[in-house]
Amino acid sequence: MTKVSSGLTNGQYTGGSISTRWGPVQVAITVATGKITEVKTLNVPMDRTKSVQINNHATPILRTESLTAQSATIDNVSGATYTSTGYAASLQSAIDQARSTSATVSA
Amino acid sequence: MTPVTGLHHVEMVMGTAVTLDIRDPFVPAGAVTEVVEWLHHVDAIFSPYRDDSPITRLGRGELQRNQLDPQVQGVLDLCEVARVESSGAFDVFKMAAPNGTTLDPSGLVKGWSIQRAAVILESWSAENFTINAGGDIAQRGSPVPDSDQPWRTGIRHPAQADKLACVIAARGTLAIATSATYERGEHIIDPRTGQPATELTSVTVVGPDLTWVDTWATAAFVIGLDALVWIERHDGYGAYAITPDGIVQSTPTFDRLRIS
Repeated sequence: MTKVSSGLTNGQYTGGSISTRWGPVQVAITVATGKITEVKTLNVPMDRTKSVQINNHATPILRTESLTAQSATIDNVSGATYTSTGYAASLQSAIDQARSTSATVSA
Repeated sequence: MTPVTGLHHVEMVMGTAVTLDIRDPFVPAGAVTEVVEWLHHVDAIFSPYRDDSPITRLGRGELQRNQLDPQVQGVLDLCEVARVESSGAFDVFKMAAPNGTTLDPSGLVKGWSIQRAAVILESWSAENFTINAGGDIAQRGSPVPDSDQPWRTGIRHPAQADKLACVIAARGTLAIATSATYERGEHIIDPRTGQPATELTSVTVVGPDLTWVDTWATAAFVIGLDALVWIERHDGYGAYAITPDGIVQSTPTFDRLRIS
């Protein structure tokens, strides 16, 4: 990464818009003594009036809904794996081992 | 069973395992190489575990924001969008980062970098693949190219590591991310209070773009059950939450994908 001199002129600027899934979002910055001192987000578009129905399954999942991977053929597991140790012990790791016997493994 | 072809690769990077599962028969290995290099590049720049990363130096005040690479500034802009949109439930400047600073953008960077990795694979003409980064998944196409077969993703059961809470199936572009605290001692801090968030045990978010799916999963874990309505209001996004009592709530967009 190159360290560049600031070269910023003091004032307030509205940046180009960032494309998000629900429309463009703009960021405004304030520059003082050549440094960005404030960043503000303008116009976060979202339809806050959309009515939403939530399904509340009042059944405790821990008793009724544990599925084995064998009973449900799956390609991936979504879970919070924060460490490589966690991965080693995970169902995803087992799926990867099974998959690597049938595909070209890129080293 | 049809023999499976394609490329498969597991890379240990960003503190976790990233699995690339490419089912297109003729994608060159260079596609995997470019993604792997990209992920290590992202790790070097954004890791709060590295003493010399620009993010660590920014957090310590050794670098100013305007001295950073434009791409890094762009990510911080996205973090700002996420903070505003989540009313402060997601705030990368109020974290307890491993480098001792309060700046940790990992909650957005992982999803953003995998979303970008999917674009890299597409640039190599891959159309049927998944990338799974520690449970955060970007999928494209089908596990069987030129078929209607959906990718099937199991959501981990919070109490049993080898079991699933539910399974979703979808063909085509989808992102899936889960935030959870499975083990005692694991926690996700609410940046608004500095205290661990406790209302949920696990929350899974689905939607088209992994940058936001991953970010909203973290925010939703902090917000609690009220986050489900908030997430469903974003077009194409849905959520599935499990409380410590084992109560499940989900939104229509998530339920449409659910097969068991």
